Amino acid sequence: MPVRPKNRPARVGARGLLAAIIAGGLVVIALWWHGSLGVHGLAGWLTGAGEILGLLAGYGVVVLVALMSRLPPLERGLGTDQLARWHAMGGRYVVSLVVAHALLIIWGYAVGAHTGVVSESATLLTQYPDVLMATVAGFLLLGIGIVSMRAARRRVRYETWYYLHLYTYLAIALAFSHQFADGTTFLGNLAARFWWSAMYVTVLVLVLWYRVAVPLRSYRRHRFEVLGVKAEAPGVISVYISGARLDELDAEPGQFFRWRFMTRSLWWSSHPFSLSAAPGSDVLRITVKNLGDHSQALARLRPGTRVFAEGPYGALTPADSDRGVLLLAGGVGITPLRAIFATLPGQVTLIYRASSERDIVFRDELDAIAAARGATVHYLVGSRNEIGGDPLSPRVLRSLVPGLDEQDAYVCGPAGMTAAAVRALRAAGVPRQRIHFESFEF
Amino acid sequence: MGTVVSFDVPARAGEPRGAGSLGQAVRWLHWVDATFSPYRDDSDVSRFGRGELPLADCAPELAEVLDACAVISARSGGYFTIRPGGAFDPSGYVKGWAIERAAAIFTAAGSAEHSVNGGGDVQFVGSRLWRVGIADPLRPGRLALMVAGRDFAVATSGVAERGPHIIDPYTGQPPAGLASITVVGATLAETDAYATAAFAMGSAGRDWVEGLPGYEAFAITAAGATWQTSGFGTYLG
Amino acid sequence: MRRVILAVTGTIAGLVALLSFKSHVPSVPVAATTGGSGGSSSSSAPSSSSSSSSSGGQTTTVPGEFPQGSLASKLTAGETAVDGKAANTAYGPVQIQLIKQNSKIVKVAVLVQPANTLHDIQIGAFAFPKLISETLAAQSGKIDAVSGASYTSAGYIASLQSALDK
Repeated sequence: MPVRPKNRPARVGARGLLAAIIAGGLVVIALWWHGSLGVHGLAGWLTGAGEILGLLAGYGVVVLVALMSRLPPLERGLGTDQLARWHAMGGRYVVSLVVAHALLIIWGYAVGAHTGVVSESATLLTQYPDVLMATVAGFLLLGIGIVSMRAARRRVRYETWYYLHLYTYLAIALAFSHQFADGTTFLGNLAARFWWSAMYVTVLVLVLWYRVAVPLRSYRRHRFEVLGVKAEAPGVISVYISGARLDELDAEPGQFFRWRFMTRSLWWSSHPFSLSAAPGSDVLRITVKNLGDHSQALARLRPGTRVFAEGPYGALTPADSDRGVLLLAGGVGITPLRAIFATLPGQVTLIYRASSERDIVFRDELDAIAAARGATVHYLVGSRNEIGGDPLSPRVLRSLVPGLDEQDAYVCGPAGMTAAAVRALRAAGVPRQRIHFESFEF
Repeated sequence: MGTVVSFDVPARAGEPRGAGSLGQAVRWLHWVDATFSPYRDDSDVSRFGRGELPLADCAPELAEVLDACAVISARSGGYFTIRPGGAFDPSGYVKGWAIERAAAIFTAAGSAEHSVNGGGDVQFVGSRLWRVGIADPLRPGRLALMVAGRDFAVATSGVAERGPHIIDPYTGQPPAGLASITVVGATLAETDAYATAAFAMGSAGRDWVEGLPGYEAFAITAAGATWQTSGFGTYLG
Repeated sequence: MRRVILAVTGTIAGLVALLSFKSHVPSVPVAATTGGSGGSSSSSAPSSSSSSSSSGGQTTTVPGEFPQGSLASKLTAGETAVDGKAANTAYGPVQIQLIKQNSKIVKVAVLVQPANTLHDIQIGAFAFPKLISETLAAQSGKIDAVSGASYTSAGYIASLQSALDK
């Protein structure tokens, strides 16, 4: 059993998580198989398909909530952005499962009872226990799914989307009982009902613990509050947050916290921001670009404002190694990489890609750090047109960083830039497992 | 009134043959026809309908019939009416009533078991199990259902009856929706009238008959589906 | 888009595989066999009613559109009750009771029916009346009358009623 380096708690990787999810799905299917009495005729096929999809949906919502439960092994192993992507993809699939389940059950029951689909719908709604609640839940989920579509999210304020999304908890609660009341799989199968309920309760407890209890406990221990706000550059501010016993947080450079500033307009949601400096023993610094309502509100934070901080999170945590390290930052992605640049020992190169000079943040700091440790910073500034091509091409990378294929690369920036950079690094000869990336568009 | 009436009077060993009562029943039916037929200009019903004859001068049975019709009309919210299409015509009640009275003639003569069938509406007397087939209105010549009961009456109203003489009094048109409806009850006069009313109501007839104590119904819709009131199952044999 | 296609086809393929494996499970048809586990006794005197116990059938109390529960205690003279063997179907056991008079079936009651879910009851409420009616009609050696609304002078000739009058 390899010894884990210090400060390396457990993490679950993408492959492991996928395997676990699939294994759970197979158990659910086996549960249906065990409880099915045989499939006969059109009614049997329709109802059977509806039952299977219903069970998968009931399991799927638990998986979706678990992904967002802030479970530390998941956050460390996959990273918040990847978890959010999985949640979004899974969410689309589960909402489709719910809709298909409802339609197939209505149709299958109607064929079995020799009535029309409309009359069977009415019967199901009025006479079958808990179906009305489940139907409301289904429409809630469908509505939340529609609002969460990329096209709709652009038009909806983040606040609105966030509140709507909270209704998923209500939908899950409403739909729970009809699984047992109407699902043939659970009839007379006490063990199945027990384990199914245990699954739901477990995830509920995880959510309450990691999203509610842990931040509360963390606040009681560390007493975070705003120390002050400093303007770094036009449209960029740094917020200094003080707290007690910060070394107990074990925060590493490159990580981020979810910050909940307790002012009237900001208390209801938490936002992720990376530590832009190595965590001090009593001060943490985050740097934020002015991107919208929330960031503007941050600029007006008064000293003494209480802060709830959840974390640290983030998978961009380089371990000490003999190999050289390349840090590739795009736009606001410089924030976590700057902290790493300041603290990581060994040979480090920083490439900072920005569309214009104005977007460069911490220029003086970065130059100072580079001078102090004998590292190199490359600023790749300007649009593609101005430079005459993609500045992040494999050729450019190899020329800027000699011995690149022997090094580790850490990339952080907007999703599009990150993806392009990763492709370029692979083409330049860096193996997949030595490329680490995180992007903040979730 | 053009209806064919059949008598089923089983002769029992040791009982006198009811030949006398059979003739009496036939004479009764002829008298009913002469007095109540709206197709005869000189019947009491036609003359009363034209206003030529005051009620006091008509056969006393007419008043009795009118009283009964008033009750049924009220109970059916007007769907049973003695003025279908405007003209005075109590045939919807008279037909069943006449047959019920004919059956009573046999009872008075001493028969404990007999049935009288007028055009598909039947009064059964006797505690033995009588078995009735309900004609399928959508497939002539075939039965849709078997019904069984004791001491009861069965009346069926439907589109196949001669002429669309069942009219929805509110629309003035023959009712759409049902192909036929069968009502069972104790006595034929009311059962027949209720069948007429329920047929005119269409699908609303179900709840209405459900609310009539002592009467159950079975209906076949024009699309071929069926429904029945909650107590009808006891007549399914 | 590729992922969507993959997810949809994968789901459908999985469903088809699962359902077709399960459709090979044979379904035992509902069979009411006579002379089974229930006792039957016939009465010779018209005045006494026969006593026949129904063997352990549970009776459901769904408001009936067909006779549910044993009729053995409500028999009239000349009738006997015969309980069929409980038959196992995919949805649960079914047991039928036949009421016979002079070796002819006059009534059918359902002693045991699948009632695990409301859906079972819903299907039963549709299926049993039809089955019972067809059972009775199948041996209609004797119909006393036909009630229908199809009597015209010409129709009378062809009607069943005329056949009975002969």
